[in-house]
Amino acid sequence: QELQPAPTGKKYTLGDISVSGDTHFSPQTIITYSGLRKGEEILIPGDKISEAIRKLWTSNLFRDINMYLLKTEGDVAYLEIRLFDLPELKELKINGIKKSKKDDIITESNLQNGVKVTENLVTTTKNYLTNKYQKEGFYNTKVHINTIEVPDSTGRPGVNMVLNVDKGKKVKVSEINFEGNSALPDSKLRKAMKNTKQKNFLRIFKRSKFIETDYKEDLESVIDKLKENGFRDARVISDSISRIDKKNVAINIRVEEGEQYRFGDISFIGNTVYTDQQLRGILRINKGDIYNGVLLEKRIADETKPDALDITNQYQNNGYLFSTINPVEVNTEGNVIDMELRITEGKPVYFNSVTVVGNDVTNDRVIYRELHTRPGQLYSKANVVRTIRELSQLGYFDPEQIATNFNNPNPNEGTIDLEYGVVETGSSQVELQGGYGGGGFIGTLGLSFNNFSLKNIFNPEAYKPVPRGDGQKLALRLQASRFYQTYSFSFTEPWMGGKKPVQFSTSISHSAQFLYDPTTGNADRDKRFNISGITVGLAKRLTIPDDYFTLSQAVSFQHYNLKNYNTGLFTFGDGYSNNLAYTIGLSRNNTYNDPVFPTGGSNFSVTAKLSLPYSLFNGVDYDMLIEERDAWLEIQNDPNNSTIIRNQAANQVGAIDQERFKWLEFYKIKMKGDWYTRLFGKFIVKSGVEFGFLGAYNQARGVIPFERFFLGGDGLGSYSLDGREAVALRGYPNQSLQPIDGENNITNDGGTIYNKFSMELRYPISMSQTAKIYLLGFVEGGVSYNDFQDYNPFNLYRSSGAGVRIFMPAFGLLGIDFGYGFDALPGQTSPNGWETHFIIGQQF
Amino acid sequence: CSEYQKALKSVDSGTKYTVGEKLYNAGKYAKANKLFEQILPVYRGKPQAEKLSYLNSKCYYEEEDWYLASYHFERFVDAYPNSEKVEEAAFLSAKSAYMLSPVFSKEQHETKEAIDKFQSFINLYPESEFIPEANKLVRELDFKLEKKAFGIAKQFNTIAGYTRDFNAPIKAIDNFIFDFPGTIYREEAYFIKFDSAYQLAINSVYSKKEQRLEDAKSYYYTLKRSYANSEYLEKADKMIEEIEKELENYSTKS
Repeated sequence: QELQPAPTGKKYTLGDISVSGDTHFSPQTIITYSGLRKGEEILIPGDKISEAIRKLWTSNLFRDINMYLLKTEGDVAYLEIRLFDLPELKELKINGIKKSKKDDIITESNLQNGVKVTENLVTTTKNYLTNKYQKEGFYNTKVHINTIEVPDSTGRPGVNMVLNVDKGKKVKVSEINFEGNSALPDSKLRKAMKNTKQKNFLRIFKRSKFIETDYKEDLESVIDKLKENGFRDARVISDSISRIDKKNVAINIRVEEGEQYRFGDISFIGNTVYTDQQLRGILRINKGDIYNGVLLEKRIADETKPDALDITNQYQNNGYLFSTINPVEVNTEGNVIDMELRITEGKPVYFNSVTVVGNDVTNDRVIYRELHTRPGQLYSKANVVRTIRELSQLGYFDPEQIATNFNNPNPNEGTIDLEYGVVETGSSQVELQGGYGGGGFIGTLGLSFNNFSLKNIFNPEAYKPVPRGDGQKLALRLQASRFYQTYSFSFTEPWMGGKKPVQFSTSISHSAQFLYDPTTGNADRDKRFNISGITVGLAKRLTIPDDYFTLSQAVSFQHYNLKNYNTGLFTFGDGYSNNLAYTIGLSRNNTYNDPVFPTGGSNFSVTAKLSLPYSLFNGVDYDMLIEERDAWLEIQNDPNNSTIIRNQAANQVGAIDQERFKWLEFYKIKMKGDWYTRLFGKFIVKSGVEFGFLGAYNQARGVIPFERFFLGGDGLGSYSLDGREAVALRGYPNQSLQPIDGENNITNDGGTIYNKFSMELRYPISMSQTAKIYLLGFVEGGVSYNDFQDYNPFNLYRSSGAGVRIFMPAFGLLGIDFGYGFDALPGQTSPNGWETHFIIGQQF
Repeated sequence: CSEYQKALKSVDSGTKYTVGEKLYNAGKYAKANKLFEQILPVYRGKPQAEKLSYLNSKCYYEEEDWYLASYHFERFVDAYPNSEKVEEAAFLSAKSAYMLSPVFSKEQHETKEAIDKFQSFINLYPESEFIPEANKLVRELDFKLEKKAFGIAKQFNTIAGYTRDFNAPIKAIDNFIFDFPGTIYREEAYFIKFDSAYQLAINSVYSKKEQRLEDAKSYYYTLKRSYANSEYLEKADKMIEEIEKELENYSTKS
């Protein structure tokens, strides 16, 4: 049988294909894999043959592949594929490394049993290990790999591998010496070397190591340091590393400083948009200053800070995207360098198309209405930054992953395309819990969807798993136990009508509470207290004074209905009360970037909640009513009267109170401000001020016992009957800080005036999408009163403490705070001490 | 114990194959595919693999698992370019991709991918029996992109009262007509462009007003020339009257 080379490009029909060589794959498998099939027409030599060989090579299973034309019979060609399997790794032995690290090395370098051993694998493993240990400071690491061929019992080629690693001693730099420097001391140059450090037991964070690549970089930094000081000809003449002992090396660097240069005249050429004087103001370099190339470069374009005040940004933020600034030295006589900044301004650039990609869930219109860069607009970096910020505040996209891509720049036309890339993130929350408390099982089901689509609610195809993408919010909450049930539903559409950001929101809630029946030990359904409410609101983003302002208005109605139910709230057990109020609020929020962890900006709001002044027009003489009530109250409280008379009096008081509370009459004013500032590094300070006041139009009718402020604790809106507002004040028990009245008595129905100051220092630990975690430390103080006469805003209950917050998209915000109350609770004398607060879904 | 259950537990690949095929022919695609998936690795590289991977892909298709169907058909086309089923597989891969294309107002990555797949299918098999359907589906996908672009341009006009940016809709409409010259929305697009220009002119400062009024006027005539019976003309006529009146101010003063 004679093997002959194939003649060129002749058409054949494929006859049999045979497989020879040394392989454990079946011939059939190899032929199928090669893509050749018996009976097909091929050219020899031709594409199909080389393609077949290439395919077999890409399998990475063979070490040698050849294809032969065995013979031809007429136009039928017989082929032979000869190939040899690559040897497999049988046994691996690693010497010189701790046992615990061996598994890591096996996975990192992919040295599992059965892997095909190629030259490439051996070399990459060797390089990988050498690099790995050199990076850890073992400069003298040596790695040897031996392979031993061992065919296994079935004749398959196999290989045993021995990995010998000799890490040697850890090498430290005990000395760094400089020669040839006269203007700058050694210490300054050593400091310039950011990664290669001399041994020093005081330095804890950066250990002395010798790593070749870092060292090379550091040599550059030394030269840069000299250049910053006017020695622009500075260079390293020689550097050597000498071994002191096995563990220590010394580095000797010889530099040549050259002459020190100074700036001469700096002139601007080609600037038409800005005057020389304006540009000089940004450059801030004067004639006679020591020449500093690095500073000059930074003032022209600072690569390290994207929002720096430099000449490039001055042009970039005003549409001149294609502007270039080119510093040229025109004269260097007498070590004084005259500079020319040659500016090519180019055309101002306008956005041509502006697109958004990656919105797999959210509809276009929900996104495009938030853009501050629109087609036809002048390019502005600042507007791009603002758009990114506002897109991230929507909460539908991962703030860390919002990207901007500039496409098709056209300097001649002055146009560019801008594409925002977004990545959708989960914005729905589900709460399902069951628990035992209050004498029975309590079940809660809460659903909240932040990117809901109401119009698709009857479209079965949109349920993935709920209709999403229209930027609406929908929340449902059901809670039930034997003794009470609450249902609430709320819906928000941020752009009602789609023309303007007019937010429409509505919520409906109903709760029913039953009294405990001691005879059955169960809820007594005949003794109940129902509260039903509905709120409809509109909020509008304003453009004046600036477009961070929001004006909101709402009308709310609540109906309280009692049946055989005596509470401390009402003096009557059967009756009703209505609360119809109008709320108007003005707020300004320019916090950025991430709503969970703002790093700057402020959030300020003022609201007023008002009822109608019924007493003006309902014809009831409240002065007389209150006298009558006082009289009945006296009879009721007089222990000398008989029970019948006292009960009658109590009923009369109840009847008068029913008249007083038929329609609640009040006004309530609240103010709140939070400021976020970056202190240093990643530390953010949040400072906050709050104030609230509840008043009555008609003093005789009195301030209502509803809607009051309760200070203390975590501030979570616990279940309450009376529309109270829980104001957080850590370091004290929930709602414990009741006002003290003029006669030093502690009241228990909340305050009508309060104020609070707080400071919080925050530090982010993780800002990843799956979990945002930050630590915080706080100091705060607040106080509430029942009367302006007693009011002293600085007589505070103070506290301080620390805590942590975790935000996970599926759970919302969770946290725990430990607070220490420095002041005594009302009626007590010693400081309140430590309190632990659990925070769910709410920000202080 | 049914035949299927027995086959599922059987160690013989041949049994699984025959039972799977039987189930496939009976329209029980989910069950058939379970068997096919068990034996796919066994037959990999063998001649039976061709039919098996076609059946496997087809099962995904019938189960409406479009993503996997598209992927597996594509792999089939790559692996068996000489198969008699390759034309059908290429078409079904594209059609599965078509099924993945979302509503026009969301990311259209899948839509573009499906268009590309259909395009290469049409280029490769111009005589295929599937061509009419392919053409129809491609038109549908193209229209989706058109509708998306128009929706965005139109929204710039809708929110212009809030953004005070009347240039954005004009520019966006220009881009839209440039990208989709044959669009069915052309008439409405012309009106939106005129409406935006009208508002820009009416709300303009004195120094720029005349030019902007003239621009708006020219857009009006573009609309009127192209669509003499346009439903928008009634509205547009009222706006042009106002523009003419404003323009009189300039002519009388000069």
